[in-house]
Amino acid sequence: MTAPEVVFDGVSKFYGEVLGVNRITLRIPSGITSLVGPNGSGKTTLMNMMAGLIFPDCGSVTVRGLSPRDPERLMRITGYATQYDAAPRGSTGFDFVLTGLLLAGYPERDAAARAGIALDRVRMTEAAHRKVAAYSKGMRQRVRLAQAIAHDPEVLILDEPLNGLDPLVRAETIALFREFAAQGRHVILSSHVLGEVDLISDQVILIANGMIVAEGEIRGVREEIHEHPSQYLIRCRDASRIASLLFEQDHVTEIKVQDDRLGLMVMTRSRSEFSRALTRISLAGHTVDSVVAADENMDALYEYLIGGDR
Amino acid sequence: MSFSFRARQIWIVARLQLGRVFFSKRSFWVYLLALFPSVIFIGHGIEAKIRRERLGRRVVMPAAIEAVREGDTDEQVLARLGRPNADNTSSRRRRGKGGEPQANEIVRRYMQYFDGARRWELNFEAGILQSKRSHQLLDFEGDRQVFAGVFQYFYLRLAIFFGCLGIFMNLFRGEMLDRTLHFWFLAPARREVLLAGKYAAGLIAAVLIFTGGAALAFIAMVWPHDAAQAQAFWQTQGPSHLFWYSAAAALGCVGYGSVFLAAGLLLRNPIIPAITILSWESINGILPAVLQKLSVLYYVQSLCPVPAPLDEKAPLLIRLLSAPAEPPSAALAVLGLLGVTAVVLLAASRAVRRLEVSYSVD
Repeated sequence: MTAPEVVFDGVSKFYGEVLGVNRITLRIPSGITSLVGPNGSGKTTLMNMMAGLIFPDCGSVTVRGLSPRDPERLMRITGYATQYDAAPRGSTGFDFVLTGLLLAGYPERDAAARAGIALDRVRMTEAAHRKVAAYSKGMRQRVRLAQAIAHDPEVLILDEPLNGLDPLVRAETIALFREFAAQGRHVILSSHVLGEVDLISDQVILIANGMIVAEGEIRGVREEIHEHPSQYLIRCRDASRIASLLFEQDHVTEIKVQDDRLGLMVMTRSRSEFSRALTRISLAGHTVDSVVAADENMDALYEYLIGGDR
Repeated sequence: MSFSFRARQIWIVARLQLGRVFFSKRSFWVYLLALFPSVIFIGHGIEAKIRRERLGRRVVMPAAIEAVREGDTDEQVLARLGRPNADNTSSRRRRGKGGEPQANEIVRRYMQYFDGARRWELNFEAGILQSKRSHQLLDFEGDRQVFAGVFQYFYLRLAIFFGCLGIFMNLFRGEMLDRTLHFWFLAPARREVLLAGKYAAGLIAAVLIFTGGAALAFIAMVWPHDAAQAQAFWQTQGPSHLFWYSAAAALGCVGYGSVFLAAGLLLRNPIIPAITILSWESINGILPAVLQKLSVLYYVQSLCPVPAPLDEKAPLLIRLLSAPAEPPSAALAVLGLLGVTAVVLLAASRAVRRLEVSYSVD
């Protein structure tokens, strides 16, 4: 019976004199966990350490009780879709998925069947027998995902898995992650896009300069930064009137009317109160076309958390 | 995990890797190195065949040409042997001590005959035969010596050496450069299994290319010679020589392959191991006996059936560096080489367990 956690215990990693990650201590439970941070923050370093592609200079990593130094056992329960094309030169998408399964010890027929199912799940059946080199960016992303899930792993590690996917496939991929997570498995992914992470993650780990800045449920992380106003973009027909109504609210600190007079940028200290106020305004007969959180991106969050020093 | 399971994993890795080794752009110059001696010997054979055909249009009896003596006149020779294959005349004025020209003029004549195997060169001065020399059109013994030299000084020391460098160093380093190594490291297989699979692929390719190249060159060396001579050779020493040259080439691949596989895991720049190992191999002949045994060349040279010719006029340093070390017996050479290879592969397996995939810092 393997422990259902991915554990980093005082892990540091340096690339020569360059810091990868520093004194990371983490316990990642099952479910969907997003590693969020800018380029070079250490997300891929953490993922590579989980998969045994690199090893910590100090500290230890265990994945459901297994050491990444034992790939024979670890990779039976782990699938990793990296950001790099991994397919051996000249191989087709099907061969690429099949080879991993054959190495895992599946008999030829079982392996072929599993490869077919995995490719079908990412809508790659038609292109399965084309060379990976001829695939588009999105197709490569999907075939990497197929290879990672083909052996039905307990831990799925995905480096920027939604990059290059069209909206339909993106939605299906997110549904796939949810399905995995619902079965008590780990889905650990990295992303730059906080909005996307917020949508799919059970928990988030914010990382900057090789250190953990915040971790936990995404709303919890948001609450850690409650003193900083949230920013919303409202598109509406009667911008000036709505602006004056909103400005009566205590939690609203700043409003900017957009040049076309059909939009407002609102800063608020309370997301929930802002939501209630906007509902009241709508019910009073003012037309609100759309409301978008304008600051739920990495830049804004990093400004909140580390003072914009990235 | 059973042995058969691991063997299957090794074969899966090797099978995929073989295509990459045989058909990658980096392999092109490996083929050039392997086939270079064959091209030379085939060229030599074609040239000899053409020359024999041209000279064979006028063949004289060997006894008749052997009967020609110095002092015979050119007219007597022509009367006895008929028209030569080549007949050139030149004249030169003799000069006195002070350089002033003398009245008498020396007429020189050169005739060439062919007796079916030898080329005869007759040099006349003032119509009198001064010298008679014969050359084998194809010298079998000489060609075997040349082959031994080419095989030991070029094929073993350079072609197989650099060929294995190209094949085996790229097994890991090449995939690191192509950013595909993680595919293998993310497979549920021990790193040692991946190492064995890659080594097997490199070895299959190198042995096929270089043993094939050696065999082809050997056959090309024998091919233009007189059919009876060639047949006699194939019925006596020929197969054994072919076997030992092929074995030496194959074992060279085994040894150098392991060394460069290990070097590819430890170093990113191939020039450093190439220079270091080439230097080590070059000075092998002058090293103490214990250190000589830590060389691939020491073992494979011992397997060669014909010693490489050594030019006595060459500078001392060249002779020292070219001189083979005291050879062990064939059995000891094979066992010794396999022992060295096992030790190197053991070291490589330790290195591969520690190897990290980090493309961003390459």
